[in-house]
Amino acid sequence: MQNARDTFYVTLQARLAAINPARTMVLRGVTRPGVLVEENELASAVQPANVFCLHWTGLSVNAQGALPLVGMSCEIQYATDGDSGNGGMDRGRLLSGMDAELSAAVSAAPQNAVKMNYVGSAGGSGLAPVAMATNVFWGDVVFGAVVVNGERLERVATVEVFSYQEAGEL
Amino acid sequence: MTAVGVVAAVAPVTRRVRAYFAPVNRVAGVPTVFDAAQTGAFALGAPPAPWVDLGWCSGFVRKSATKVGALTTGAPAVVQSQVRTEVEATLQLEFESWGKLQLALASGSQQMNLLQTTVAAAANGSGGVSGKAVPLVAGSTATSLSVGATAAAQFQIGELVAVDEDYVAQVGFVGSGASAAYVSSPASVGNDINYVRRVSLNVGRVVGIAGGMLQLGGALLAGVPPSGMQVSPLVGFVDREGGGFFQEWSGLFVMDGEQGDRVIYYYPRLQAMQGSAETVNALAGTLEQVSLAGAFRALPVTDANDGETVLSFRSYLPGALRAV
Repeated sequence: MQNARDTFYVTLQARLAAINPARTMVLRGVTRPGVLVEENELASAVQPANVFCLHWTGLSVNAQGALPLVGMSCEIQYATDGDSGNGGMDRGRLLSGMDAELSAAVSAAPQNAVKMNYVGSAGGSGLAPVAMATNVFWGDVVFGAVVVNGERLERVATVEVFSYQEAGEL
Repeated sequence: MTAVGVVAAVAPVTRRVRAYFAPVNRVAGVPTVFDAAQTGAFALGAPPAPWVDLGWCSGFVRKSATKVGALTTGAPAVVQSQVRTEVEATLQLEFESWGKLQLALASGSQQMNLLQTTVAAAANGSGGVSGKAVPLVAGSTATSLSVGATAAAQFQIGELVAVDEDYVAQVGFVGSGASAAYVSSPASVGNDINYVRRVSLNVGRVVGIAGGMLQLGGALLAGVPPSGMQVSPLVGFVDREGGGFFQEWSGLFVMDGEQGDRVIYYYPRLQAMQGSAETVNALAGTLEQVSLAGAFRALPVTDANDGETVLSFRSYLPGALRAV
């Protein structure tokens, strides 16, 4: 299941970075594309603005087939205060831009990717991730309503991500 | 020898169906053949010639109406064997795009072009008498029409055009690229010189005009137009409930699986089995999205491999290294 999560995250990050290379963030001193997986970072109560934050929530396993079919819900939270130079009056436009970027990244064909195992390549080992035998695939993005939190506009979008649990995979 | 492992085969997971059209030679009764063994893995956006992309469709349902009966003998009767007493297949779908081909196929009968009329033309349900067509001169291609500088000035960018030959008393199937209608006698179509262009599926949209050439937004169904064809501007399309003609086409429907597999349904001969119909999907409030609804009956062909009479072919291309 972790391989599917990692694969979806890396795929989404690459697509979002290609759509808007200017959307970056500085995390632990490193400038990187503005996408993160909340559970992979230090716990924080602060929602960073202008960044896509992935949260893995729901999980289901259908073991009736030849390979267990795993379904996972990925909630993607994002928010913006607008540009301070504009007095925040462009916050609607900036949120709309993030909506469009996310929609384009998730809906772009193909809506699947070869499942990769990143365990060996973690921690700066220099090893390449290993391609697995099945594909991760996902549905269209479902957008929640905008939440107004003071001057901040927030939204949660959800994508259902599916994968097959391969023999021996945990 | 180093053997690689295979992955257990799972049921295909797909999300959409892509439809493709190819003409049937109505005079010879020969459909377009699709060989999944040779071209089954084509890119969805680039079908092999002469297949034409009809876009995505939804509500794709195919039904077998084939009947299998039991042969019994003795008293009491005991089933000894089985026999197919009737072979029939139908399919239905909704086209997501409203193009000329989709409209024509879904309507099932003649699908007419609303040719621009003469100034004083009498009103008529499928369009009044049309104006004079513009002849092609040498140099046309499938995506550009050579009409000369003077004639080109009569057209405007964005205009729709039908490109086909004049009607000069032909009897039988008419229309370039695909048979668009059947004419039983010249009198039945009023000897209208524009009749073939009125029903033709060989249409395009002008997206540029330069040097006496009309640049089209896409390739004509019939390919490079030969000399002798003419160009008629049109404003849209019209079909009718009724009519004596049945459109017939070769249909190809592809479902890509999420694991790299592919399901292909090939119907060599399809004819509409209902009149013009739509499916309405509510969007919000009073907004509705209207899809073209089509229902088709499959007609038979003979498989050259064994001489069997069949209606359709289902091919499955498994994903890489899947168990079979």
